[in-house]
Amino acid sequence: MLRSRFSWAVLLVGLALLGGAWIAVSQEPAATVMEADGLVEAPAAGYLAPAFTLTSTMGEQVALSDFRGQPVVLNFWATWCPPCRAEMPQFQQVSVRYRGQATILGIDQGEPQSLVTDFANSIGVTYPLLLDSDNAVSRQYDVNALPKTLFVDSDGVIREIYTGIINRAVLEDRIERLLAEDAAQE
Amino acid sequence: MFPELTLGPLVLPTGGLTYILGAWVVLSLIERLARALRLPAEQVYNLAALSLASGFVGARIVFVALHWSAYEDSLVNIVWPLTSGFDFWGGIVIGLAAGFFYGRAKQLPPAATLDALAPGLIVALMVVSLADFLAGPGYGVQSNVPWAISVFGIERHPVQLYELLVGAAALAAWWRWLPLRRFAGQLFLVSIAVYSGGRLFVDAYRANAWLTPNGYHIVQIVSLMVLLATVYLLGRETVATQDEARSPMAAP
Repeated sequence: MLRSRFSWAVLLVGLALLGGAWIAVSQEPAATVMEADGLVEAPAAGYLAPAFTLTSTMGEQVALSDFRGQPVVLNFWATWCPPCRAEMPQFQQVSVRYRGQATILGIDQGEPQSLVTDFANSIGVTYPLLLDSDNAVSRQYDVNALPKTLFVDSDGVIREIYTGIINRAVLEDRIERLLAEDAAQE
Repeated sequence: MFPELTLGPLVLPTGGLTYILGAWVVLSLIERLARALRLPAEQVYNLAALSLASGFVGARIVFVALHWSAYEDSLVNIVWPLTSGFDFWGGIVIGLAAGFFYGRAKQLPPAATLDALAPGLIVALMVVSLADFLAGPGYGVQSNVPWAISVFGIERHPVQLYELLVGAAALAAWWRWLPLRRFAGQLFLVSIAVYSGGRLFVDAYRANAWLTPNGYHIVQIVSLMVLLATVYLLGRETVATQDEARSPMAAP
């Protein structure tokens, strides 16, 4: 039992030394801070976003790796999904605001190109819409419910995943954070 | 690991479910323990519930205030959807302030109230670890220990489970010290000291920890500061209580 001031002081100093030593032992090389190269691909926050190449509604081949070096927002959606339709105008506003700094990619689940194109034109969406015709990318990303939105940083690492509708403020906040991290690293 | 729970046509986020269930467990626990410590249980429960509710609402208000330009043309977005769009630190500050002022208004004894709140606080931290294990971005460093878990094909330390064990140890310490309690606040200080000491130890096994620019684990630094502060206060109060007991003026 610790009864005197001296024994408590010894305990305090001992804990400070031990704790400080353990922190020093646990120190990681600065280069490993958010190091993406050692990560594996997985549909989870903290992992590399699984690679894919899809055809856009404009007929272009678009790969996720094309956007390495800037934040990417992946939004899985379908025209039959009311919350997806509700949030798309806000995604459009954000895509215009951050053009050249961050990219939004809409990934449609298994619908024909004409249907997706007509819908996009009707609500004025201009950001790239990709066609996941056989749902292979949806399976890669474990998309079990729509909408699902993933924030991928400039190194290709998934940082956050949202299932369900999100609004413009959340989109802008997360993109600003990723851009601020990039600015801090430069 | 298990980000979603599928029930027929429903897909529920396990992280959100964990927090809702966790809040219920925390509030129930606090009410029971306040009663065990002979505090006004209803008021201590109200303090905790008010802090939680104020923290939730406050986190939203601060987020909306910080992003007002995105809300001013669609006010319905202020209240919907509520699954995202919160300012964490804003919620913490407002929740703590609400609890503090409620406690003062009801004249709850601060140290004894903290004793009753400590297990709830530790369970809340355990809930965060559990939610991180189920659906969060955390994972442990690679390992080949027999209890390593496979995360997307790589064997890793189950660091969030270590955090849960640390929480269990802190709860055990609270329970162990309950009959030995010499002064108000002792249970709070003991359990928080055990918890912070444990987190200081196990955070070394977290692979994607928050780091300072030179690679030190921020959680470890904060844990060490909390550990030293709680041990200092424990020592000061223990010695003061002993001095008081030895004093010739002390009642027999």
